[in-house]
Amino acid sequence: MNLWKRMGAAALAGALALSLVACGGGNTSSAGSTAGGSSTGGEATGSNVLNVMVEVEVASLDPQLATDGTSFEVIADFTDGLMQMDAEGQAVEALAESYEVSEDGCTYTFHIREDANWSNGDPVTANDFVFAWQRAADPATASEYSYMMSDIGQIKNAAEIIAGEKDKSELGVTAVDEKTLKVELNVPVPYFLSLMYFPTFYPVNQAFYESLAEGTFGTSPETVLSNGAFILESYEPAALSFSLVKNPDYYNADSIQLDGLNYQVVKDSQQAFMSYQNGDLDIVKLSGDQVDQVQGDPELSVHGAGYLWYLTLNQAEVPALANQNMRLALTHAIDRVSIVEDVVKDGSLATYTAVPPQFATGPDGSDFSADQEMFKDVCSDDPAKAAEYFEAAKEELGQDTFTFELLVEDTTESQNVAAVIQEQIQTNLPGVTVNITVEPKKQRVEDIQEGNYEVCLTRWGPDYADPMTYLNMWITDNNNNYGKWSNPEYDQIIADCTTGQYVGDAEARWAALYDAEKIIMDEAVIVPVYTKADANMIKSNVSGIEFHPVALNRVFKNATKG
Amino acid sequence: MKNYILKRVLISVFTLLVITLVLFCLLQLMPGSPFNDEKLTDDQRTVLYEKYGLDDPVPVQFVRYVGNMLKGDFGVSYNISKNTPISQLIQSRLPISIKVGGMAVTLGAVVGLLLGVIAALNHNTIIDSICTAISVLGVSVPSYVFALGLSYLLGFRFKIFPMLYTANEPFMSSVLPSIALSMFTMASIARFTRNEMLEVLGSEFMLLAESKGVTGAPLILRHALRNALIPIITVLAPLIVDLMTGSLVVEKIFSIPGVGSLLVTAIQSNDYNVVIALSFIYSAMYIGIMLVVDILYGIIDPRIRVTGEGGRPGFFARWRMVLFGKKKGVKA
Repeated sequence: MNLWKRMGAAALAGALALSLVACGGGNTSSAGSTAGGSSTGGEATGSNVLNVMVEVEVASLDPQLATDGTSFEVIADFTDGLMQMDAEGQAVEALAESYEVSEDGCTYTFHIREDANWSNGDPVTANDFVFAWQRAADPATASEYSYMMSDIGQIKNAAEIIAGEKDKSELGVTAVDEKTLKVELNVPVPYFLSLMYFPTFYPVNQAFYESLAEGTFGTSPETVLSNGAFILESYEPAALSFSLVKNPDYYNADSIQLDGLNYQVVKDSQQAFMSYQNGDLDIVKLSGDQVDQVQGDPELSVHGAGYLWYLTLNQAEVPALANQNMRLALTHAIDRVSIVEDVVKDGSLATYTAVPPQFATGPDGSDFSADQEMFKDVCSDDPAKAAEYFEAAKEELGQDTFTFELLVEDTTESQNVAAVIQEQIQTNLPGVTVNITVEPKKQRVEDIQEGNYEVCLTRWGPDYADPMTYLNMWITDNNNNYGKWSNPEYDQIIADCTTGQYVGDAEARWAALYDAEKIIMDEAVIVPVYTKADANMIKSNVSGIEFHPVALNRVFKNATKG
Repeated sequence: MKNYILKRVLISVFTLLVITLVLFCLLQLMPGSPFNDEKLTDDQRTVLYEKYGLDDPVPVQFVRYVGNMLKGDFGVSYNISKNTPISQLIQSRLPISIKVGGMAVTLGAVVGLLLGVIAALNHNTIIDSICTAISVLGVSVPSYVFALGLSYLLGFRFKIFPMLYTANEPFMSSVLPSIALSMFTMASIARFTRNEMLEVLGSEFMLLAESKGVTGAPLILRHALRNALIPIITVLAPLIVDLMTGSLVVEKIFSIPGVGSLLVTAIQSNDYNVVIALSFIYSAMYIGIMLVVDILYGIIDPRIRVTGEGGRPGFFARWRMVLFGKKKGVKA
């Protein structure tokens, strides 16, 4: 017994000593990091700071290199472009005080605000845009979004510069004077102003950029300048937490209510939701199952994310899929309503159009795809019609049984949706066997790009607020025309709308875009399935966060917390 | 002794080089490339491959990579943080992972030892059963389950510790992940200590010591535990390695800005350079730990020191036995 007491005392003493050492260590290190002014994870403090959850790290704070939604969102927190989105997603002036468009629609002249300054005190000048846009087009930059300058923005000489045929100085953008920027286009681009809020078009202060060591731009608060609502306070590459504070010198500082933003990367959705319930986060993104749990909660907020999930059918390699009746049979055999309501469950919309709803508004201000019954003759959840088309297909193809491989990526949602599609097709089209192949996303994308698949559940998000961001995909030989479908009539309409007869006439162009979409739907080139939504929980004392399906998914500068 | 250490170090360096080569080849087999993105066209991919030298033949890439690596250049990240040098990415993250891992090992070893000793001294009593039950739980339940459980209980319900890592409270934020990570180590050490202690306690020299009048704590600590500790060092080393793998998931759950969570992201996004650099560092740590253990054996067991081999076989000798049978160069 004596031994026991001694052992117990020794153990207790040991544990105490250990905990003292451990606590001591902890205290010093935290004191050290405070004193040292660590550049990561420092938090803006105060109750008026919004705590924001993101799912992935920022990939780049360089506006001309960034490509993903998180990077865009953070860049836009501290950088303004010529234009910005209002709450409804319409382009309104930001750094541009005013602008003029020439009569032929090919020249834009932007007048930059006199009171727009960088956070180092330099004025924002027209040259900052010239420098940034030339960087985006310069092949040496290898900007993944360079095509926003050429194919989409149609800026003069952009295509030639990207191809290495002309020097970047020949880009059709010039600084007329310090505050006047002139942009020349090859053809009128009806959505050009809406590109101006896309981060690839954001300015970069040339003198500041050139003063930095190569490759360090945008890697810390010291290596970026702000001209926007917030200033980067703490950040390092791939940081899991970082913060921004209100920019007191922002031209519109009076209207900014928040004192700052704290970002926290959380990859585990359960942890994220608990942190939200704990009060550590003010806004979190939910998974489909979590949305189910909080249905009816007033803090739940669902917004269209613009992404269309669809089935691409490989017509070049699979003879059965080259048959139009077979494709129509497949598109009718799917029950999209049950997919969004029972599987995805996050507010995503069943979609029956090749261009998804909620992101593109026409000359009359209406949503291009608001009417989801427009093509109901050729695309609906209708097993009876599916059977009819299937009979016709069987006759034309001279066989009764078919086996298709359905390729999906390894996310839970994709796999669940695929399982339901498999079951629906096999039930509604007896004789068809669907085998599911699951691959990591990068492999799936490589396979469809190389035509190495039969049927694939894939997605596309809009790059700009115009139906062309979708319709352009299905022209002959486009990289994203995974089905290798080709129709000269379709190609002609798209050409007419991009560079041809309709470019100057917004209404005629809009009508022509419907004609193009009708061809896609009539021939069942793709099988649209659903338009993705983002479900967020937002604390009830927070308001004014703006959600958009294009370019900037979330905008915080008009948010309030209190 | 010098020869023995030199030999071990040389073998370690060679192993690392082979690992790098294998890693390089494995990455070529990874599905997709860093640039298989819906938005990227063939032309753009070609530009990016050229820019990063990924269009060269694999042997050329390998030689260039090893050359750069010897100069301390691990290349840049393609996806996670575009064009950021890997060394910069890892610099701030490695200390955090080592800190959390270190806390976990210390905690696991100390608590494990205590539990093991207590269980052994109370052999076949209810206390022994409780300790055994804890060990079984610790070994069989994966660390991420503990992580989620602890996070829910101590983070969410009782709000004692932060659920997500915050740089303002590095110590408090490391407590839950360290406990979650330490469970396996703790349980294994406890089991092992108990068995070793029982063996030592039943041995003749303990009887001798006792008959010489040694009693109480000195008997247990100086005679029993000390002898039991030697084999425990063996298990501790692989346990530290297990802990490194456990950290991959636990870091993700607690949003710890360490190398484990970085590796997971890198593998998912085919960020080749990050994967190679981190796998290299993990391998180097593993080999380093094994090297230290082998050298420690040399110090503890004179038979190894004299012959360079023999006695209790070292880590590489053990693997050689597994791979090529017992005969070669290993004295029984």
